[in-house]
Amino acid sequence: MHSNLDLSISNLFIERSERVLCENFSCLIKAGEVARIMGENGAGKSTLLKIIAGILQPLEGKILFAGEDISFHRDMLQKHLLYLGHHAGIKSVFSVAENLKWYCPNKDIDAIEEALAIVGLAGYSDSPAHQLSAGQQRRIALARLWLTDKKIWLLDEPFTALDVKGVSVLEGKIKQHTNNGGMVILTTHQSLSDALCVKEIQLVS
Amino acid sequence: MTYLSFFNSEVLAIFRRKQDAVNALVFFLLVITLFPLGVSPSKEFLQPAAGGIIWCAVALAILMSVEGMFKEDYNDGSLEQLVVSGLYLPVLILLKLVVQWCAVMLPLLILMPILSQMLFINWEILWVLILTLIIGSPALFLIGTIGAALTVSLRRGAVLMLLIILPFYLPVIIFSTGAIGAAQVGQPYNGQLAILAAISLMTLTLSPIMAAVSIKASVN
Repeated sequence: MHSNLDLSISNLFIERSERVLCENFSCLIKAGEVARIMGENGAGKSTLLKIIAGILQPLEGKILFAGEDISFHRDMLQKHLLYLGHHAGIKSVFSVAENLKWYCPNKDIDAIEEALAIVGLAGYSDSPAHQLSAGQQRRIALARLWLTDKKIWLLDEPFTALDVKGVSVLEGKIKQHTNNGGMVILTTHQSLSDALCVKEIQLVS
Repeated sequence: MTYLSFFNSEVLAIFRRKQDAVNALVFFLLVITLFPLGVSPSKEFLQPAAGGIIWCAVALAILMSVEGMFKEDYNDGSLEQLVVSGLYLPVLILLKLVVQWCAVMLPLLILMPILSQMLFINWEILWVLILTLIIGSPALFLIGTIGAALTVSLRRGAVLMLLIILPFYLPVIIFSTGAIGAAQVGQPYNGQLAILAAISLMTLTLSPIMAAVSIKASVN
């Protein structure tokens, strides 16, 4: 039933600060796949994710989601979308649990504690977010992955600042998500485990 | 994210960062106390000038508090999250403004009876002053939001925002002080209040949409 949640991009033209990042870029990502966007620093990986998420608009090209043209209005996609950017949207004045409560209001505190325990933040739920290290703040944002029922994940460098154990926990979650028919599009320079069956998408400038 | 959870988080955030609201209030108090000291503490000067002094101080205090409204959200990435949340951005901006208005204007309105005594405003005029503040201040917040949204991605956008926004504050200040002046000489002031209400309503329809467009242009 999830096969209809395909994301297809055709003839995308991306320009940033008057520099052409890609021309005629096309790809098809199906539900149940992990897509990894490959490219050098500054090749436009993050920009591509932002364009899919609807933060930026492409100059040319078409984006189809579940067979519908969403090139101009991403509302339909955004209902199914979880985007984690470089800055993960963690408010420093909130406690760890409050940060998650804001994004996932329909989850109770037990579910939040459980998600925090999985990402290795057990016992931190009442600590102010600004007291935590960069890696721990990243983990707060990643804990949203355990609390959400969104199908499409756009993860921009999700492994930054994570330790080895954190990386394997996150890889496990991504694997589980795609097995359940979800879609993950990520950028990373880290080598991923073979179990993920990553589909590599090359961004050429 | 839902509209309700966003609203709750905004209330919580403004409560945790009460320093910002307190700063605006202290600034306002300082301006009001400095005027009699700097110019003249006499009743002949202060009574006719009071409306103007209070309104200028209010406008600057509001500008101060609105200027940084999206800064924090921009820096920590939650503004991006609002854009991709699938919720209607103008409504989110409006909710944020409602919280901001309450945090700045409610304490200010509560202080007004005490301050008005410092400037020799009598009770009938105080009522008009409070009316102009309630009707006119939403316009100042709404116009300021556009400026804050336009300059959010600039590192030193505060002065630029002042330059963009201040001219649009003039009609509000002119008509509010006009209403107070008319009331002081016993003339009807309904007309000025009606124009203030019209400005507020017009900005209410335009500014959230324009601010949303500017935020989408700034977040990238």
